[in-house]
Amino acid sequence: MSIGSFILKNALRNRRRALLSILSVSVSLFLLVSLLVTLRELTLPPEDMGAALRVAVRSKLSIANLLPARQLNRIQSIPGVSAVTPFTWFGGKYKNEENMTFAQFAMDAKKLRAVFGEAKMSEPEYKAFESTRDACIIGRVTADKYQFKRGDRLSLESSIYPVTLDFTIAGIYEGTVDDRNMLFHQEYLDEASGNPGWVGMWWLRVASPDDMPRVITAINTAFANTSAEVRAESERAFQLGFLSMLGNVRVLIGSISAVVVFTLVLVSASTMSMAIRERFRELAILKALGFRRRELFVFILAESVGLCLAGLVVGAGGAWLLFTHGYGAGLALLSGAGVALGVALWNLFQKRFSQAAMNLPVSGLLASLGIWACRHPNISKMTNGFFITFEVTPKILGLAALVATGLGIVASIAPAIAAARMSVVSGLKTLD
Amino acid sequence: MPTNGAIVQIRNLSKIYAQGEIQVTALDNVSLDIGACEFLTLMGPSGSGKSTLLHIIAGIDRPTSGECRVQNIDVTRLNESRLADWRNQNVGFVFQTFNLIPVLTAFENVELPLLLTQLSRKERRQQVETALDLVGLADRARHLPRQLSGGQEQRVAIARALVTDPTLVVADEPTGNLDSHSAQEVLGVLKSLSSDAGKTVIMVTHDPKAAAFGTRTIHLEKGELIKD
Repeated sequence: MSIGSFILKNALRNRRRALLSILSVSVSLFLLVSLLVTLRELTLPPEDMGAALRVAVRSKLSIANLLPARQLNRIQSIPGVSAVTPFTWFGGKYKNEENMTFAQFAMDAKKLRAVFGEAKMSEPEYKAFESTRDACIIGRVTADKYQFKRGDRLSLESSIYPVTLDFTIAGIYEGTVDDRNMLFHQEYLDEASGNPGWVGMWWLRVASPDDMPRVITAINTAFANTSAEVRAESERAFQLGFLSMLGNVRVLIGSISAVVVFTLVLVSASTMSMAIRERFRELAILKALGFRRRELFVFILAESVGLCLAGLVVGAGGAWLLFTHGYGAGLALLSGAGVALGVALWNLFQKRFSQAAMNLPVSGLLASLGIWACRHPNISKMTNGFFITFEVTPKILGLAALVATGLGIVASIAPAIAAARMSVVSGLKTLD
Repeated sequence: MPTNGAIVQIRNLSKIYAQGEIQVTALDNVSLDIGACEFLTLMGPSGSGKSTLLHIIAGIDRPTSGECRVQNIDVTRLNESRLADWRNQNVGFVFQTFNLIPVLTAFENVELPLLLTQLSRKERRQQVETALDLVGLADRARHLPRQLSGGQEQRVAIARALVTDPTLVVADEPTGNLDSHSAQEVLGVLKSLSSDAGKTVIMVTHDPKAAAFGTRTIHLEKGELIKD
């Protein structure tokens, strides 16, 4: 026997309680990881490869104010700018849908590849988009959702312009971090609305990342003190500014996360206190045999941290599996359900009805979760593209590991102090 | 009372417990010598202080005043950490309720005190097997405590007390929870520890028949040594 196996035997002496403790920690950590991933997705949207080279230019007043199209020539003439396209929000509603379910932007189709090069389409699709006035392209996520295919026609009624435009789908693009949008010709919008000369904003690409600060300053200066002052900023800065409109979502999610962690501390501390209190007599025996306070503290700490880390593996690992390999998670859950069912049947066979009665609901729960995970293996699809990557990053996993370790340490403090203070004689008088 | 070659020398030992505002004298100015290889039995009514005296000798309790020297080391003056080391190396405990760890096998229970030593796994195994063999339980090494009878459990506890080859073996009513047959077996093992293995055995008991196994019996009453 080693010290490690002694700690393990102690931790698993009451298997049901150990399992329930691990499950309570894992469910809470799963929730915490999900909240952190949601927060990240909302506040730090993933970047395209070209993000480091892109600049967004919008009205200094607000993103809703239009910009004069004549600014194009001035922007293009700034050294370091390699391509510019207008980017105008159309706000169209599809068929009888009450709300807009995918964003549409009018742009210069010929600049698509230069500015948003990540969008992958076949050459004929690019050609068709560039050459046809009413052509549009649609991101793969939206196309899959509405079963759109090349050549289909669709009609959108704008909630901003007094027009309803008909489009022909020239291509389905993918490969960007947000394959949800629809893009069409700015010229088509100008003609239909009878209001040429205005655009929503500009997106441009600079020749190299080194040009970025200078180009941004040059654009802001170029239109300073004009009737249409602009704010030029990097794609990252633009996204963060745009997302600040979400208000206190960060605070809300942060608060919920704090409550989750606090609850977790209470649950773990109470479990560890119970587990140690009922072993006071044994701890007294260990002391009598020569184990010192620090060794008992290590036993208690290792047991507590071990249970929390097991919860981490199940909870945070489960979240990672579910969000990145949905089918895998589903199959793992179904396997777990199968095992639980097998144990339940064995218990029935052994006439241990109370244990079977516990195993059956666990099996049912795991099976339900497994089927759900298999049917919704892709978070992006499940949320209709609201969340795109929903990625459990190493940083989030690290944070969860930190919480689990901290939790194990905090939960062990009170029982460790009680064990240290206990005299051998008083501990031996403790009833089993 | 042996004075020459005494392994335990107790001088003017007192222990007073405070129970609220009331002070209870558990030991009152006790002086005693215990020789090497002695099998000393401590007798007396409940509350006479015999267990307290045993606990102080074994280094798991501290006196209010006085001195308790074991092999010339005053155990009352050792700090917690050194006292723990001293207990591990010099004292073997046998309790009335056996006090084995229920999740460990008989072998692992006996091995427990050796985890604090520098012995290799192989050396530990040899010592555990020797100790279990000595109490006649080599064939029960893989059994959990719940799979053993009371007498067997107590013999495992004795093996655990012996495995570090201590100078002292202290036993607090070791036959209190056993039937007469098992009690005889356990007492026989304890007796052979002092007569054959050269250990100093100190046993607290209520039972005169059990005390008869000892080489010397002393009586305590109200914390005082009344007969030796």
